[in-house]
Amino acid sequence: MMQHFPVLAVMLLFLAAFLVEIFGSKNKVIRNGLTLLATTNALVMTLALIKPVMMNGEVISYWMGNWAPVSGYAIGIGYEVDALSLFFGILVTATFWLSSIYSIGYMNKDHHLGHYYTLFLMLSGSVLGLVFTGDIFNMFVMIEIMTFASVALTAFRNDSEGALEAAFKYLVIGSIGSSSVLAGVAMLYSQCHTLNMAQLSSILSGGLTPTSVVAFGLIVAGFGVKSYIVPFHTPAADAYAAAPTSVSMVFSGMVNKAGVYGMIRMVYIVFRAMDHSSVQMLLAVFGAVTMFVGVTMALTQHEFKRLLAFHSISQIGYVITAVSLGSALGLTGGLFHAMNHTLFKGLLFLCAGAVLYRTGTTNLDKLGGLSKKMPQTTICFLIGAGAISGLPPFNGFASKWMIYQGIFTKALTSGNFLYVIITVTALIVSVMTLASFIKVTQAVFFGQLREEHNDVKEVPAVMLIPMYIMAALCVICGTIYPLVSKYLLFPAANASLNVGDYIDKMMGAGYAEAAGVPTMLVEPVTFSFWNPVLWLILFGIVFFAAVIVILLGTNERGKILTAGEKPEAKYATFFSGEEEMFSQVGGSDLFWGFKKNWKGYYKVFTELHSGIVTDYTSYTVIATAIIVMCLFIFMR
Amino acid sequence: MQILLFLVKVLIFPGALFTACVGLFLAGIDRKVIAHMQKRIGPPIRQPMYDFFKLMGKETIVPARANKLVFLGAPIAGFISLAIVMLFIPIFGFTAFSGTADLIVILYFLTIGGVALIVGGSSSGSPYAGIGISREMVTMMSYELPFVLVLLSVARKVGGSTLAFSMNQIADYQAANGSLLFSWSMIPAAIALLLIIPAEVGMQPFDVAEAETEICEGPLIEYSGAALGMFKLNTAMKMCIMTGLFTSLFLGGIRTGTVVCDAIIFVAVCAVVTLVCITTIHAVTARLKIEHLFKFYWTVVSGLALASLILVWMGL
Amino acid sequence: MIIVNYIASIILIVLGFYTVCTKKNLIKIVLGLGIVDYGINMLIVSFGFNEGGTAPIYQLSDLLNGVAPQFFVDPVPQALTLTSIVIGACVDAMALSLVVMINRKYKTVNADEVRRLRG
Repeated sequence: MMQHFPVLAVMLLFLAAFLVEIFGSKNKVIRNGLTLLATTNALVMTLALIKPVMMNGEVISYWMGNWAPVSGYAIGIGYEVDALSLFFGILVTATFWLSSIYSIGYMNKDHHLGHYYTLFLMLSGSVLGLVFTGDIFNMFVMIEIMTFASVALTAFRNDSEGALEAAFKYLVIGSIGSSSVLAGVAMLYSQCHTLNMAQLSSILSGGLTPTSVVAFGLIVAGFGVKSYIVPFHTPAADAYAAAPTSVSMVFSGMVNKAGVYGMIRMVYIVFRAMDHSSVQMLLAVFGAVTMFVGVTMALTQHEFKRLLAFHSISQIGYVITAVSLGSALGLTGGLFHAMNHTLFKGLLFLCAGAVLYRTGTTNLDKLGGLSKKMPQTTICFLIGAGAISGLPPFNGFASKWMIYQGIFTKALTSGNFLYVIITVTALIVSVMTLASFIKVTQAVFFGQLREEHNDVKEVPAVMLIPMYIMAALCVICGTIYPLVSKYLLFPAANASLNVGDYIDKMMGAGYAEAAGVPTMLVEPVTFSFWNPVLWLILFGIVFFAAVIVILLGTNERGKILTAGEKPEAKYATFFSGEEEMFSQVGGSDLFWGFKKNWKGYYKVFTELHSGIVTDYTSYTVIATAIIVMCLFIFMR
Repeated sequence: MQILLFLVKVLIFPGALFTACVGLFLAGIDRKVIAHMQKRIGPPIRQPMYDFFKLMGKETIVPARANKLVFLGAPIAGFISLAIVMLFIPIFGFTAFSGTADLIVILYFLTIGGVALIVGGSSSGSPYAGIGISREMVTMMSYELPFVLVLLSVARKVGGSTLAFSMNQIADYQAANGSLLFSWSMIPAAIALLLIIPAEVGMQPFDVAEAETEICEGPLIEYSGAALGMFKLNTAMKMCIMTGLFTSLFLGGIRTGTVVCDAIIFVAVCAVVTLVCITTIHAVTARLKIEHLFKFYWTVVSGLALASLILVWMGL
Repeated sequence: MIIVNYIASIILIVLGFYTVCTKKNLIKIVLGLGIVDYGINMLIVSFGFNEGGTAPIYQLSDLLNGVAPQFFVDPVPQALTLTSIVIGACVDAMALSLVVMINRKYKTVNADEVRRLRG
């Protein structure tokens, strides 16, 4: 029974995609109902797999057309859900479920929604398929469907500024990435004559031939493109900003995470290359550069969604760096951060969407003072901003803590000064992230309300519900992470490090040992640094007590006075005696003191993000070449 | 019983009450000594406490543009996070929660203190506050780099490989090997941390964010009454925490055995550190511009801290 | 000579990447992507080719009686190539349709002028 769940989840999403196009292009109820039904079904089915996979450590396998391995050769296409797949699978289905709820409210002003939902469901099915599949070529096909659906969704509002351009860039860069994955897969097949990942892993454990090293380089570069690490990041910034926000949330929350999943799957499980310090160094450097470039570019943006897009890039840098460490602590931190990024970045995109939905703009210089009109969105945004900046007690803090510990421990054990630099970078990037969210908070939610936004209302409940769910998850995951770690992160990290176990379960017991894959015992990561539940309870009690005391204001002398209906001089803002006028400190005026000192850096990097597609393709091709060459030289 | 002990630790010693009292005491000393340096008599040492209680009794006005919940919640959030930080800083031999203290946690909780000021100021809707929060954030970005470098060099010096940033380990190391200040490779880092303290607590010459003479206290401009009192208290608590952090990072290792004696020595050392790095610098300098401040921290102070880190890395 | 195939496909891939990186016309960029795809497809087919092998098509009776020739061309790469060709065609179609839309909106297909999103 259980073994049919993964394939059913994927297939029903694809089926619903076509049904929506056939029956739902006119009828709103059928359209929304089918979409919700399919995504809910996928969510329930993946959640049902937690018990066997995460707790009992099974690997759910399903062979398409019942082509199970015969005499040690896996010919058929197999779905293999181990803990790593399931971890990402849960993230995928949860993200798409929330996004489909949000879409009901958010997209109701658009036309041709049948196409939108078809593409949306195709995207969800392909990402889920990518995560669940155990066949490397099937993975490539899923990547292509994913790219297609993403491109079409990016261009969905094709009358909006830059949507077509962004879609084109996304398609070109994405195709280069898929091409290099395809070339890598082909070379790998020529060496191993199989496409099943478990079998590939056991064959490759005999040592890498030069051809398989090149294949490895191409695949790493390809998944690097898919996870949008610098210098492949350029289309991501454009596409996340141009796509409808419910889709941006999915892009940033899950589509780039699919690249990260592919990277982990390839590097840890198929090639088991993390023993090579050159691979670790390469990924660590790429990760560090990614987080730094992403956040510095985000600091100068004037557009809410583009700023968030650059932050997505930056946070993926954290994940890649953590994954590159090759230790259980690093991998657990990386997976946790990937999960947290899905939560808080999704939340932030939804807030941006709420602002766009009500005001019609996301330009930071044209907004301000919305907290009085949209108080619930403001609170959700503040939670998301706190989480992404890594403030305790939100989830971002816990995962960043693990990443810092992981990197610095690596520095101490390996004695490599590079890792110290990366630790410093990671910590500084965190502060810069905070700074750019302060900028957004000031420019969008606080300050003075513009006159044209006087009749802005809070968004409808159907849009608020996903925001609340994500905000609650941000707080919950930050406080009960020992549980999260036990049931989600540790099994996933264990599955990636303990490859022999995976191969045995897929190909039959004793297979891995015969191929010479060692079975490892992975120690669970312990948390002793602080007990957040206790703190959070205390924090909550004290905070609410204080707020209640203050709000009641029973003491006549120390009471709180708030402005009533008619304006009074006492409540007016202080203007040094001048006449009150419109005065909003906009987003681009903030952090002048910082930008002035970084003029040279910003000049270079703004020019590098030139918007010309040939420049972007050149970066991509050159970086791919560099990755392949580095690995070829240092790994052999 | 355990919960009661927990509450006592959080609320009284070494949590909120202790930190607040010591902070206000240090602020009083600062004012008194600076007055003497300028040949004035100055207020009594208890004056910050009087100020605080007086402000608590005043009415609080929430301006018309402000978001009430955030405006009033920010000072409380800052207060609570700062009260929690003190629990992680070992007072020589005594730590409130052994095994839980960690440099990264301290770094982030200190950040919350600053963020509370920024968000509170931002929510008031005043343009002066807008400029103030921008400067406060840039100040934060400036001192964060050297601060991180200092913390890393201490962590490397103490050199635990399992839990690299443990505060307890730092305290134990100093108890066994003497204070870190007396190992010469750590001296640049100590100087760097001394230079970071005034920026962290917002004292001249690094008080650009609250520059009274140009932007009228910046983020605090619309605050009044109890909320303003809370922010003033937060500044004083930061003084206590930062000097305490310096003490436990670089001057640790003194262990008398009784908590009371430890605490008294601790407060005395904190007072000395305050005099050195806050009062003296305050008395002899004028306010910097924000871009110069950024440059100063990212070149001079970071250079000092980096020198220390490299020396420590080479095993000196 | 199978080596000729490899060389030719590498040349195709390099040419395609060269086109993608240097040509400013959006349609040429799309063609470049196509050329890269063809190069890779050729590579895959060549990987499966065994010189002198027969087509991998048998009847069940041949297999049961054991009279099937042991030496044949690997069929899997051919299946992969077919899939990849289909995907490549879709990429080209999609990209070209985007170029048409861009041409309508921007009145140009020059990459230097299609750069409203930057910085």
